[in-house]
Amino acid sequence: MASRVLTDSRWIARGESRTSFSRFLLWLAPWTALLLVGIYAAFLCLYHGLNQTNMDNRFAFGLWIFLDLGIIALGAGAFFTGFLVYILKRVELKPILNTAVVVGFICYSGAVAILMIDVGQPLRAWFTFWHPNTHSMLTEVTFCISCYLLVLCLEYIPILLRNPQLRRLPSFLVFDHQLHRLIPVLAAVGAMLSFFHQGSLGGLYGVLRGRPFAFRSGILIWPSTFFLFILSAIASGPSFLMLVTAAVEKITGRKLVANEIFRRLALISGVLLGIYVAAKSIDTLIWLNITSPSEGFAPWQFYIHKPFGTPILFAEIVLFGLLPAFLLTFRATASRRGWLLCAAAMACAGVLLNRFVLTVQTLALPTLPFDDFLQYTPSWQEVASFAGVIAYGVIVYSLSYRYLPMFGSSKGEHADVSGN
Amino acid sequence: MKVTRRDLLVWSAGAAAGLVVTPVPWKILDDVSIWSQNWPWIPQPAKGPVEVKQSACTLCPNGCGLRVRMAGGCPVGLSGVNTNPVSRGALCPLGFGAHQLNWHPRRLRNVKHRGNISSWSEASAAFAKAAREGPIVIVDGHPGRSASSVLENFAEKWGGGYRVAMGPETRSLAPYELWSGVPATSLGYDLENTQTIVSFGAPLLDGWGIPGRFPRLWAERAASMNDPQLRIVQADPSLSRTAARAWQWLQVREGSESALAAGLVRALLEQNLVPAHGAIPLATISEAANETGLSADRIRELARTIVAKPPVLAVSPDFNPAVAALNVVLGAVGARGGIVRSSDRTKKYSSVAGAISNVRAVVIDSSVPWDFAAKSDAEVFRFAAWDGGSSKGDWLLPAPGFLEESTDISTPPAYPVETYAVAANLAKPTFEVQTAARFLANLDASAGTPETILHSRCEQLFRSRSGTLYGQTITPMTEIASTQELEKHLWDGAVWVGERCSAKLACELKEWPSASPSSRAGNWTQPWLAPVLPPLASKLYIESNLRGTPGRTV
Amino acid sequence: MSARYGMVIDLDRCIGCGSCMVACAAENNVPALQQATVRTGLTPIVVRTVSNGQEGAARRETFIPIMCMHCEHDTPCVKVCPQQAVEVDRATGIVMQMPQRCLGCRYCMTACPYHARYFNWWDPAWPAGMEKSLNPGIAVRMRGVVEKCNLCHARLHTAKEKAAAAAKREIDPTDYVPACVEACPTSAIHFGNLADANDPVAKESRSPEAFRLLARLGTEPKVYYKSKEAWVRDLAETNSAPRPEVKHG
Repeated sequence: MASRVLTDSRWIARGESRTSFSRFLLWLAPWTALLLVGIYAAFLCLYHGLNQTNMDNRFAFGLWIFLDLGIIALGAGAFFTGFLVYILKRVELKPILNTAVVVGFICYSGAVAILMIDVGQPLRAWFTFWHPNTHSMLTEVTFCISCYLLVLCLEYIPILLRNPQLRRLPSFLVFDHQLHRLIPVLAAVGAMLSFFHQGSLGGLYGVLRGRPFAFRSGILIWPSTFFLFILSAIASGPSFLMLVTAAVEKITGRKLVANEIFRRLALISGVLLGIYVAAKSIDTLIWLNITSPSEGFAPWQFYIHKPFGTPILFAEIVLFGLLPAFLLTFRATASRRGWLLCAAAMACAGVLLNRFVLTVQTLALPTLPFDDFLQYTPSWQEVASFAGVIAYGVIVYSLSYRYLPMFGSSKGEHADVSGN
Repeated sequence: MKVTRRDLLVWSAGAAAGLVVTPVPWKILDDVSIWSQNWPWIPQPAKGPVEVKQSACTLCPNGCGLRVRMAGGCPVGLSGVNTNPVSRGALCPLGFGAHQLNWHPRRLRNVKHRGNISSWSEASAAFAKAAREGPIVIVDGHPGRSASSVLENFAEKWGGGYRVAMGPETRSLAPYELWSGVPATSLGYDLENTQTIVSFGAPLLDGWGIPGRFPRLWAERAASMNDPQLRIVQADPSLSRTAARAWQWLQVREGSESALAAGLVRALLEQNLVPAHGAIPLATISEAANETGLSADRIRELARTIVAKPPVLAVSPDFNPAVAALNVVLGAVGARGGIVRSSDRTKKYSSVAGAISNVRAVVIDSSVPWDFAAKSDAEVFRFAAWDGGSSKGDWLLPAPGFLEESTDISTPPAYPVETYAVAANLAKPTFEVQTAARFLANLDASAGTPETILHSRCEQLFRSRSGTLYGQTITPMTEIASTQELEKHLWDGAVWVGERCSAKLACELKEWPSASPSSRAGNWTQPWLAPVLPPLASKLYIESNLRGTPGRTV
Repeated sequence: MSARYGMVIDLDRCIGCGSCMVACAAENNVPALQQATVRTGLTPIVVRTVSNGQEGAARRETFIPIMCMHCEHDTPCVKVCPQQAVEVDRATGIVMQMPQRCLGCRYCMTACPYHARYFNWWDPAWPAGMEKSLNPGIAVRMRGVVEKCNLCHARLHTAKEKAAAAAKREIDPTDYVPACVEACPTSAIHFGNLADANDPVAKESRSPEAFRLLARLGTEPKVYYKSKEAWVRDLAETNSAPRPEVKHG
């Protein structure tokens, strides 16, 4: 009896070898503990209010906005891979599609969870749908993020239904079949939603005329950051997918994805990063020479406050932009696993740095001539809920990896994700 | 009928879809949001009609005119009374939040004996015993009230002393009391008629005197003017609020005010800017220059500057004989725009400065600033509405809080004419409180009660037929028909303002006063008497960078 | 007729006493919270101290009351609020915040160039019994929403009721005076209708000594400042002062 309790083999797809259930539980234990701490911190924030954080009236957005912007950028691999596979018909990327969907789902649901903790009145979140202000970037963000999360859920379900136990339910099979026919449509809708979502997150700060460090002129109603965010997200998304896959390969000690796919992802990431760096450079030059001076702000004033000096600008554009773009694009470096992962990590760091600069540095900088440069250190509650989201991601991914087909590996039966 | 799992699923899905088109989820959403707007633990303001009453602020002896909005029997908002010629519609920042003081967590609600809860009867018995055993001293913070008369009468009858804790403005007038014989409480600064003020660190725009007096005067005659009709020369070690707004700011060394006054006198006399009379300071201009950090030429120039636009008046923040002597040399004593007599009263009060020895008990009225600690080994009976911490007496006796006591208000410190107003008890205390006067009257009714004294004062005032009553209208006293009418006006918030006192004031200064330790009034919270600050003062002290930490407990 | 309420604050008259801050808080039922700090307190109007950067005898200081500037054009907070909890009242020009609609996302706070918006980090609370001293007619804002100066809108409401009771179309301007204006002991804050060319405040706003903070952002703030001193007026033009020292909250 005891042995039956301790095994979950019935839930694991036939022919897949997975580590023992107890070892798996052992792996989950610390993450679960972290998640529980995160949940407790989130509870404190919801119950006592946001005074549990170290945010204040000027640092009105804290760690959470960086987290949201960061993980959503990294989660962009999901929609972009879907876009590549279903719209641009790059079928060779199919093997990583499931992983991409799960990573996207984790990032988006994590972001929504954090968002709900970090608004003052989460019970009123639905007001945005009821009384939307169509001029607000945040309305666009809210609509896109919730719709796309729905899409990701729908994309996640067919993967979920490939679990051997769930497959035994006949009605689930029918549902699964119907859903599969919908997936390309969902991928297209998701891609569109997510394009807008990434863009509107960029627009969030770009439209702030009152924050001259972030304010950007733009095209039509969108500031340039709208487009830069899309570009940087789709550039770093594939890099993050590579990192996740490599990490899973390392932890499980298995080869999951063909090198060819890695190289393909690297090339996509590298080329897009190159385009992004070029666009970002042009944008920065326009901002330095036109936008900021026309608003009456000498742009170099924004870089006198340590640690936000010009080295950050250099790091953002060259060190974590141009350099990984080269490393990812050139065959010589991209075919070496070490270089490849290093470059992917740099690309991800670059996009995170960009989100950090745009959110945190913007708020720290003074606008009024008699304002001070402010510092903010997140409270343990903020850090813990942040860590909780990461733990949540690891747990969801681990469960998905164990019980669901995450990679179209050499075993043919898992390669068909289009559902036949 | 056999229900399959499939039926169940279909049914559930259908129900879920159907539910969306019913009002249920929407109503729930709506209710949830309404609930989040009206959490039961959020306090709600009283409903009901708002009534406006007029009274006077009793936080400090200035007695500013108070417009009180009342709802549900409680004051819910305070503002100034524009028709009040003394306070001129202004209140100090603390005054605007004073109506919340009565619920301050440090409100003294019980009689306390050495930290333990006691009762009024025990306190009464203890005091009666002490009063019979030996002499007592009664300390008052607002002399001149009807209640003060009760305290004074009692002290006289029971062979004790009546002492007054003077505010810094009155203390700054004390040297003239020494030289002229006129009590400091009968003196005032004729700021309204002066054109140049040399302030030796007096926080003129920062809580010195009546909040509506000097700031209003300055705003009318100096602020944002290229050629101000009222010139302020502020000598201050650092850029104080007054220095920041002064016509000229002199950065002098800390504690060199007396030296500057002496230097100025030498410079005035050397340059024949004033007629030579009175005492001449021993120190030379260069010594003054050394001490103040100014150049000798700067002091000479300053002397010329200040006499350029007379009348000129020197003001010190606290007791400072050198600055007073400068006024004597400038001829500002007894002159228009200088130090004038506000009243012909000649009764001097003994100050609380120094030790109180050989007494059995000390009674401290609630009008005495909490800072005051009787230097005495006698049994201390302290009346206070709030417990300011670090117990300042053997007995702490709960006094009426803000607007909980009917009292009268006499001439504010350093005001050049006599005034009289009445503050009605608009708020009701919810527990037993007593004023010191009532407490003493309980023991010996022959000392009088504040009510009867107030009444007889009104009668006196009516009979004098001098002055003007500022209420809804401005009425000369000659047009007031009866004491009752006068009292009615006063209880409705009118203020009586007397005529200028014609009694002579002359100072004889035989020798330059020896240097006394420099005293600074410092922060404007000084004349503030309550042991605690209104909670909303946190906006000034904690929630903004406007002011540094106060000297007292918030 | 639509009014455009605004202010001209004569900085040469401000003595930095803070009466406006306390009067405003009392009028609007702003709680005094023990936990609040300079960075988390609710101060719909806050007086800031500004210096000319010099030390010693050359130092000059002035006090600047900062509140919602009621931006007329492209109002930054109105534009960003996802659920229309902020609007510019067409009849008065007052930027109105609806706490019941606000979800507390604080996007408006990051958008406001003047940092004039405040978040209710705590439940509003008063010591036991003190709620009896609250101003009737002003709802207490709940935790988790943003609030700011609304030019004592409730007083406008009362003035309108009074005018309606007297069968008058227009309010008597003396009936509508915000608490800070009323409290100022030096009458440094002048309040009036900027749309009325004959209004003294409208005239004053056109004085060469008048200026607006960050007017170059083009948001047309309706709070003007005024000073005779050039270094004070320069505050409107200068960039963020080069003060690299870091202040810890």
